[in-house]
Amino acid sequence: MTAAEQARRLTVEIFRFNPQDPDAKPRTQRFEIDESPYMTLYILLTRLREEQDASLQFDFSCRSAVCGSCGMLVNGRPMLACRTLTASLPQHIRLYPLPVFELIGDLSVDTGRWFRDMVQQVEGWIHERQPFDPAAPEERMSDDESLAIYESDRCIDCGCCVASCGVANLKPGFAGPAGLNRMARFMMDPRDSRDDEAWFDVVASDEGVFGCIGMMACHDVCPKELPLLEVYSYLRRKVLAASIAKKR
Amino acid sequence: MQELMTFAQGKRAVAHCTDSLIPHFPAESGHMSGQTNKKTRSEAATTASMDLLFELVSGLSGVALALFMWGHMVLVGSILTGARGFDWLAGMLEDYYIAQPTVIGVIVLFLVHAVFAARKIPAQLQERRKLKTLAAGLRASGKDWPELPGAPAFTPHLESMLWIWQVRTGMVLVVLGSFHLILMGLDVLTPLFGAHTGIESATTLARVQGGLWPVYALLLLCVEFHASVGLYRFAVKWGVGKRLKRSVLHRIEQFMFWSILAFGVLTLAVLSGWLDPPLAFLLGDPV
Repeated sequence: MTAAEQARRLTVEIFRFNPQDPDAKPRTQRFEIDESPYMTLYILLTRLREEQDASLQFDFSCRSAVCGSCGMLVNGRPMLACRTLTASLPQHIRLYPLPVFELIGDLSVDTGRWFRDMVQQVEGWIHERQPFDPAAPEERMSDDESLAIYESDRCIDCGCCVASCGVANLKPGFAGPAGLNRMARFMMDPRDSRDDEAWFDVVASDEGVFGCIGMMACHDVCPKELPLLEVYSYLRRKVLAASIAKKR
Repeated sequence: MQELMTFAQGKRAVAHCTDSLIPHFPAESGHMSGQTNKKTRSEAATTASMDLLFELVSGLSGVALALFMWGHMVLVGSILTGARGFDWLAGMLEDYYIAQPTVIGVIVLFLVHAVFAARKIPAQLQERRKLKTLAAGLRASGKDWPELPGAPAFTPHLESMLWIWQVRTGMVLVVLGSFHLILMGLDVLTPLFGAHTGIESATTLARVQGGLWPVYALLLLCVEFHASVGLYRFAVKWGVGKRLKRSVLHRIEQFMFWSILAFGVLTLAVLSGWLDPPLAFLLGDPV
């Protein structure tokens, strides 16, 4: 970081609106703050709240890109505030809440409800093959399978992909990038009893993978760099194969 | 201290309110079980089968049309060898009945693709505006951002905006493409234009030089953009990108777009009479 960058005075434009206040109207508020070395948006927002406006609402928990609470639109792009250094941003920073999700206030959105609805829609839990026996040894899984499942399970439910998705922004029933990833995760799981046919109507519909129009934003904005485009092509090919097998 | 208290109360108040906003869900295991579930299940499977079919129809018709456009460029490009080469090729394709079924097939594919690809275009103007705001924001982000070694990986994003431009060019193509296909259909199948049934260089040159060249220029630009982006998107959607990386596919797309566009512009320049056929020497013609 050069001396010039450290000396920057940042202008931060923040979306302000409290939906619980009947008199409130959505607006943006401009703040000015001196940049400090290694400042993240998390540090910036915390300082703004401590020093300038205590009513500013935003979500944080882990500060290390694990909890997925701090997704927001940073100059038009969904990003995690905790892992975004202000030094990588221009002097004028615009912060808006993630679209798609219900607004709690200012930059805080309710991703939890969206994700719960999605999980119920795709039934994102193990449908066990036989009743669980706590005394029996666990069934073995191949390394490849467990690695593939682990890769999909790295999703932190931050909602950046959902917010960047054109379809999720327009169609509330669409499972969204995170939902498609969740489908693939349980389709790959050998412990799950659902076969291709059982998955077919969930995955193949316009609320599943064929709702996707291939804008690819989800893949580009994912803070965990999940291979989402590969996941979708896996789902597409899998569903096509299942459909052909069914007709035979 | 006063401020902190306000904050704490405000936060609690908000938490309280959001609790009341959460709608009631059916009992956890009840909502997807029982007799009703079976019925909706088979209905859902039918819908899903249709969605799969529509996706395949729109995708494959698009790929077929895009591949046809490459062949088409070579055929029109025969004008680069002069009028004699163009007429010889057209006459040959018509004498062996290759042109007639092709023109009908392309018209059918064109209509099918227009109908099935358009099902994904948002109907409301407000929805389109929302998409455009989102896509433009994503495209602009990162443009004037300082480069920072050690910062998390940043991938610039263009494809959302490309999708919107595909819709826009698609709409232009519905109009101009129909116009062009009707003319070609009449040329190939009827003696309405020119001296005889079939495509003739004299008719074509007269059309382009008679003032239609801007129409063909716009058609060329739109069709090449729409086709190359469409092929790229199809490849990524179905996972050609697993072996060929997406950045490579994107570069192939851009190469295709610019090279075919350049070839098209050259062809159009000859058709407009601004340029003598550069390959006329191949046929040993004085032009």
